[in-house]
Amino acid sequence: MVRKLLDGNGAAAEAMRLARVQVIAAYPITPQSPIAEKLSQFVADGTLKAKYLRVESEHSAMSCLIGAQLTGVRTGTATSSVGLALMHEVLGVASGLRLPIVMPVVNRSLVSPWSLWCDHQDTMAERDSGWIQLYAADAQEVLDLTLLAYRVAEDPRVLTPIMVCMDGFFVSHTSQPVEVPDQEAVDRFLPPYRPQNLYLDVDDPMFVNDLTPPADFTEMRYQQKVGFEAALEVLPEVMDEFARHFGRRYDLVETYRCEDAEAVLVTLGSMSGTGKYVVDQLRAQGQKVGLLRVVSFRPFPADRVRAALSRVPVVGVMDRSAGLGAEVGPVCTEVRAALSAEGRQVPVVGFVGGLGGRDLAPKTLAAAFSRLLEIRAGAPAPRTSQWIDVRADALQLREVPAGVRH
Amino acid sequence: MLQLKLYGLGGQGVVTAAKVLAEAVAVHEGRYAQSVPAYGHERRGAPVYSDLFVDDQPILVKSFVYEPDYVLIFDLAVLDKGVDVTQGCRSHTVFLVNSAQPPVDYPFSRGYGPVYYVDATGISLATIGRNIPNSAMVGAFAATGVVGIESVARALGDIFGKAGEINVEAARQGHAAVRKL
Repeated sequence: MVRKLLDGNGAAAEAMRLARVQVIAAYPITPQSPIAEKLSQFVADGTLKAKYLRVESEHSAMSCLIGAQLTGVRTGTATSSVGLALMHEVLGVASGLRLPIVMPVVNRSLVSPWSLWCDHQDTMAERDSGWIQLYAADAQEVLDLTLLAYRVAEDPRVLTPIMVCMDGFFVSHTSQPVEVPDQEAVDRFLPPYRPQNLYLDVDDPMFVNDLTPPADFTEMRYQQKVGFEAALEVLPEVMDEFARHFGRRYDLVETYRCEDAEAVLVTLGSMSGTGKYVVDQLRAQGQKVGLLRVVSFRPFPADRVRAALSRVPVVGVMDRSAGLGAEVGPVCTEVRAALSAEGRQVPVVGFVGGLGGRDLAPKTLAAAFSRLLEIRAGAPAPRTSQWIDVRADALQLREVPAGVRH
Repeated sequence: MLQLKLYGLGGQGVVTAAKVLAEAVAVHEGRYAQSVPAYGHERRGAPVYSDLFVDDQPILVKSFVYEPDYVLIFDLAVLDKGVDVTQGCRSHTVFLVNSAQPPVDYPFSRGYGPVYYVDATGISLATIGRNIPNSAMVGAFAATGVVGIESVARALGDIFGKAGEINVEAARQGHAAVRKL
């Protein structure tokens, strides 16, 4: 084990090297490019024995990986934003073929307006793609969740690809000390890849992904549903085993100072660390607040969310994507559904913030807690999403003057 | 937790300087550090900044620095380009400035904490042969006591590889030459 200064991109590349991926196909995109560059460097300097395919798009990158993984090797790529959007069609091929590909995704907003910076709309747009989605909160978690993701994805009960999501810049480019395990330790935890369900013999090729009639389609999809349900069991199993091997413990959700909390904010990704910092500050001032962080968004651990929030009188959810057209953002929609299943009438306030790289700074999260405590004290709870950091001049920004028409 | 803000111009090694200090603290002193670069439409010569957190405990916050305890100014030209280097600063905020002359009559010269200055440009031209003041600046920063000069030297060796030696020399000269206003 060695302690290194790494950012999230560096941690992702280290994890893929330690997992001994054998075929890489990656297309660079800000803020993911350092992953593509580092993997290329590892292959060039011989510290990673892999074939690196230079492709002309993310659609081709994923297509190459699908073919390679079918022949029985562990594969690697990473992407972000519009790169993930361009992969959309083939993401479903990977998950439908039950190929356990593990892919770091660096969260960046989708166009338009054009932006290089962090929000979660790119991965939220893929939440029904049949991929498991884990959200890392810092560089250490990128390394750890990526390593354990191979074990979960490749488990015969699961056979489902996994996105390991990290916030653009706030994780991908933020350097911190990271404990990097030795190769031997990783080899003990993660054995070589063995295909479980489908194997393509290049000397005796066959047709895969063929036309499936209505008579069978539902059953094929149902197999995927069962895989996701199994993942809710397998993820904690593998996380426990990871803790025994490496000493760091993960779970489907993480609670922080929720015991006697009057208000809890539900978070995803790097905002969780800032949220804990704010919880500590508010607790020191006598405010009873807590935080519930969702680590696995797909599968969504509804039972665990219900259990964690069972006695909390006011709940807030911070969505880092707009959820346009819905009453609230996508994470809040899940939390409301989970709690309503129990018949609880608890107010669940949907916040939207941190879009297009806007920092979810301590003061922004403190403002969200403050709103929740007002509701606890009797203020009405809004049904629709509350844009916590929107500027007052939003509707005048880049406004086209009336009458400009030709 | 200490919070640092590093201001400079594209090409002066501001982002790398934050990483060097983070490596010095987190890897060579066994403490915790986190460097957060601000990326945008950078180009050589445009104002850039990078943020750094230093603590004895793990750092929870994943955000930019808004109330710096230390401000490092790699080039006073950033003030002419409209950068408010005193934004969020408090009465104790310490400044370290790349300047051959005592930086009197600047917005940070009075009303804040101690102001240190060092001719990092002159040192970098003499040692590295180019105007990349970052190594002299991180060496000078060690004089504040936040990080040790030996840790900074080791971090420069890690990060610069073959060019480590001349950068360490620049850092040691910066450390020796830094003065208090």
